[in-house]
Parts: sequence; C-alpha cells; structure tokens
Amino acid sequence: MVTDIIETRGLTRSYGEICALKPLDLLVPEGEWLSVMGHSGSGKSTLLNLLGGLDRPSGGSLQLGGEDLMTLSEDGLARFRREFVGIIFQQHHLVPYLTALENVMMAQYFHSVPDEAEACSVLERVGLGQRLKNRPGELSGGEQQRVCIARAIINSPKLLLGDEPTGNLDHQNTGMVMELLKELRSEQRFTIILVTHNREVAAWGDRIISLDDGVLVREERTCR
Amino acid sequence: MSALKLIPLLLAWCGIVAALARYCPARRTLLMISCASSFAGGAAGGNLLLTIFNGEIAYSVVKALAGACFLCLWVVALAAFYRVTGSGGQGTPVEHEKAYVFTATALALPAGLLAGAICVCRLAPQGVAPLFVLGVAGILLTAVAIGIERFVPADITMTGEALLVLIVSLLLFASSFTLQLDLFSPLSMKVMKFIHDFVHQFFESMLVPDHLFFRRDVWEYIGYLFGSGVGFWGGLLIWFAPVILIGAAIRLERLPSVSHIRQGAQRRKLLAAFIGERRCRLIAPCMAVLILGAAVYNSLFPRVEYWDPKPVAVVVNASGAILIPKKGEINLEDGKLHKYLLKQGGREARFMILSTPDGRLMVTLDACAICKPEGYGQAEGAVICYYCKTLIPLETVGKPGGCNPVPVPLKVGADGVTLDAMTILNRWSETVTGSSRIKGGGK
Repeated sequence: MVTDIIETRGLTRSYGEICALKPLDLLVPEGEWLSVMGHSGSGKSTLLNLLGGLDRPSGGSLQLGGEDLMTLSEDGLARFRREFVGIIFQQHHLVPYLTALENVMMAQYFHSVPDEAEACSVLERVGLGQRLKNRPGELSGGEQQRVCIARAIINSPKLLLGDEPTGNLDHQNTGMVMELLKELRSEQRFTIILVTHNREVAAWGDRIISLDDGVLVREERTCR
Repeated sequence: MSALKLIPLLLAWCGIVAALARYCPARRTLLMISCASSFAGGAAGGNLLLTIFNGEIAYSVVKALAGACFLCLWVVALAAFYRVTGSGGQGTPVEHEKAYVFTATALALPAGLLAGAICVCRLAPQGVAPLFVLGVAGILLTAVAIGIERFVPADITMTGEALLVLIVSLLLFASSFTLQLDLFSPLSMKVMKFIHDFVHQFFESMLVPDHLFFRRDVWEYIGYLFGSGVGFWGGLLIWFAPVILIGAAIRLERLPSVSHIRQGAQRRKLLAAFIGERRCRLIAPCMAVLILGAAVYNSLFPRVEYWDPKPVAVVVNASGAILIPKKGEINLEDGKLHKYLLKQGGREARFMILSTPDGRLMVTLDACAICKPEGYGQAEGAVICYYCKTLIPLETVGKPGGCNPVPVPLKVGADGVTLDAMTILNRWSETVTGSSRIKGGGK
C-alpha cells in the first residue's frame, strides 16, 4: 500500500494583507512525481518553500513523512531539511569558488560527514565524472544543474523539490536533466515535486496541479 | 572569612560529584551515599591528622596522597594512550553497568576522603564548629551536585579515563589553594633540580668544556637548560601531559565500523553520530586542562598575604659589629620575620631575624644558596622562598642546605643579638654573586 508522504489540510501562507496561498488540501503519495504549474505570482514557489521547510505556514496543517512541520522548532526544521529534503534551484546556487566535487561534499558536510568517494560516484552518476575539479564558472548551464542535482540527492532525500530547474536551460539540456531525474527517481524511489511554467516539462510528472492566485484550480493525471 | 576561602574547594567537590554522577547515572543514591560519607570521613580524618601530628606531618600526608593521585593519573593516561596507539589499537572497551557502578564507587571513596582532608587543611587551624559546618556543607553539596548534574546536556558523556582526569584535576585545583598542599611549585623545582643535576653530571663526566666535539653554538643550546624557565616549562609539561595523553587517546580511538550500512547518507549519519559522541567525550579532558591551568595560576600567584616587612637599615659600630636589640621598635621575639639591610663600603646585604617556635633566635641571609635572591616572606607557620615557592617550616630555619635561607652566626645576649658585619657581607657575596651561581639567575 502506498502511503502519502505529503498531507496538507487548509494550508495557507499570508504576507501581511497578501494571501499567497489560500487554504490548500493536498495529498502526495510516496514516490509520485508531481508537477506544479501556474503563472508568476500564482503561489507555486510559496507552496514549494512550505513543503521544503524553508518557510512556515500561516495556517492549516502540514505533514511530511509523518512529521508535523507546524510543531517543529527551528533546529528541528533544519534537521528535517537536512535529512528529508533535496532542493534544486533554477539559479543553481552553487558556491562559485568551490569545485563541483566540493559543492557536493559541502552538502554531505552539513548533513553528517563528507565522503569524497561517495560524492565522486554521485557526480559520475549524473555524467560529470570528468568535471569533478571544475568550478561552477567553468561548467555549462546544464552541467551546473547536474551538479545541483547531485548535491540534492547526495543525502538520499525522500523528497526532491525542483523550483524551475530547467528554467535557464535550452531544449536539449532540459531533456537531458529531466531524463536524469526520471532515472534517479526509479533508482532511489524519492518523491519529486517540480514547479514549472513549462507544460512540456510538467508533462514528465505523474500528475500535474495548477495554481492560480494561490488556489488549486486544476488537477490532471499525465499519460506517463 | 574561613567559609569564603572554602568556596572554590567546595565547588571543586561539587564538580567531582557531578562528574561521578554523569559517569554512572544508574545508581545515583548509592553514589551520593558513597560521596557524602567519604567526604565526611575525609574531613574527620584530616582533622584527626592535624590534631595528632603537628601541622607539617599532616600536610605532608595529604600532599603525598594528592601526589599519588597524580601518579595514578599518569599511569592511566599512559595505559589509555598505549591502548589506542599500540599494536592492534583498540577502541573504547565496552563496559557493563556493574563495571560503571564499581568504577564510580571505587573512585568516589578516595576522591571524597582526599577532598574532605584538603578542605580541612585549608580551614586549619580553626575550631570544631567550622569543621562540623564543613562536613554538613560537603554532604549537602553532594546532594545538590547530583541534582544539578541532571541539567547537564545528555550528549556530554565520559570514559573512565576522562572521569579520572577530571577528578584528579579538581583535587589538584582544590589543593592548590593551600600553600602546604600545592604540588605544582615543588614539581617545577624538582624538574629544575633534576635537569641541572643531570646536565652537570653528564657534562662533567664528558670533561666538558674541553670536549672536542662541542662547538660554541652547541653551548648556546645547552644554556637553555640552565635558564630560569626550565623548571616552569618542564613542570608544565609533566603537569599537563597526562590530560593531553588521555585527550589524544579519546581523539585517536577507533570508531565502530559502519561499513555494513549500504546507503551512503545513513552510513555517514551514523559515522557523524559516533564522531559527535567522541567529541563530547573530549569535553572532560578539555575542562581538566582549564582546571589544571587554574591550579598552576594559584600556585604561581597564591592568594596569601605574606608578612614581608621592609628591610631596616642597620648601623655597624667601630669594631665591625651590629647590635640589634631584642626589644625596641621591633620585638625580635614576636614570632615574626624581621628584615635588615646592611650597607658598608659600597657593598650591601639583606638578612633577617626570626624566633623559631621553640623560642630560639635565628639569623639568616634573605637568600638561599640555590635560588635567585628574591628573598623570603612569612606565611602560615613557614617562610616561603619567593623564587621557587618552597615552604620552609619555621622549625628548620637556621639549618643550612636546600632552599633554606643561609644561616649567619650570631651571639645572643640579654639585650639583643650581635652580628659580625663582614661575615654577613662575605656570606652574601658568596651566596648571591659567587662563582657557583649560574649567571642569569637560574638554579
């Protein structure tokens, strides 16, 4: 039986007068690839930040992997992020003066202890075995995003969040990154929640939900 | 005031009890009874020693026990270091609860006895009432320390060696508040004497300086061994080495294997937990370093107000004699140290007069044959050499040798003491500026 890894009930997030996310009920089964679509300002990134423990909800309940995020302290939330979540950003957010290998090892360091051999093997898995010692500035956009993926999966997260991970990539690199994510998901069986405004990218998921002005307006299953 | 001077010692006792409770949290009641009874027993025993024997013997016994604890620490430290670095180095041995209880109780008894005795020595000589209060305070603080220990973060754990290092360092810290029990100053003095004697014998046996192989620059290095700091630095090395060895043993101990865990993140997480535990076990030796450092500070800068009067200039009569009246502005028989300054023909010398506990007047130089002539002060039934911090019991003042002040012949009359000025000046010259003293002021 597949259990739900994410369960939200009436989840809201307000910034002063502005309600970025209106009461949202959402269930995400373990291992699902969920694509979140919507225009700018529709609440996609707000939802992603809440699910990743990067932000705290204004109301409602939020359970991830059986843990109630509303009750966690700051330290507890940090521990949760370290061990449960991997995040891929559109802008990569790689440390520019560290090599690809060091960027991945830094994630290991904040999780537990660095292990160079393991970091190398993950970078090799994402096709960067020859680029271990290169700094982000010496890598292409697609390669940087693959470093970002390696960094996100190195700690074996149960939930992988992507905030427009292919937003800066051309068509060919987008396909490469999405194919990689698909392979990794089947190997490691993590849940993916991917925010995008690109329908083609969203179609890689098992299910697509659309947000508009903080409200869930549409939900559809893909044919994958 | 007597209660105030016991505060750091009682805090040290609390630290010992808390460390024992942390080591063996399962049997707190047993531990509390052991600690409280041993402390009270130590206080009673110390008081008995002070009552039966004279002060010096009682202090010597307690000091010898503290020294024995330090030697035990050395043995344990070497064994711990050997265990992790020797062939087939081992990790921390797994101890069962019974072993924890046995170790904690076995350590609580001598620690309590010694801590109680040290507190009594610090208090002495006082009446029965303060001793009773001390015993009660010790017992109450034992219970308080065990209660407070529950609030120490659970991550902070300790091995048997770390427990021992913490207990011994706290005992040495407590003893450093009493001049007669201080161990660091005598230790540094012994180191200095050993090094000097060794170097002297070694080079004498090699007929140095006529040896062909030694060049001038070699002598410059050898000179360091005769510097004034050799005793201090050597003493520090011996003082801190066991703690550092135990710290190193904890740091170098092998972590449990995690290779059986296949998933990298889980494996690293478990490894990080083991490393974190090991790091927490290092807290005890780190604290011990600070505590031993405080003991060294106490030893170097004791909070004792020495009786050290300003030297009074003396007048030499036509026949070259100095007459100092027994009674006058200064009462020579008041049991206090009195200092004088002799100036004659461009030469000068400092000397002192005091009456010993058996009522004899003694005259000595304000210097000894081996130390830098920094002089003496009087404190708690003894005179103390300012340079090497050696305590000279008043009974032995006037006897030559060691760090005793150099005696000067005197004639005691009904009115006062008569001294020969030239004898004093010559003896001062021989002692302070003579060829036997190493240039630079070292021993």
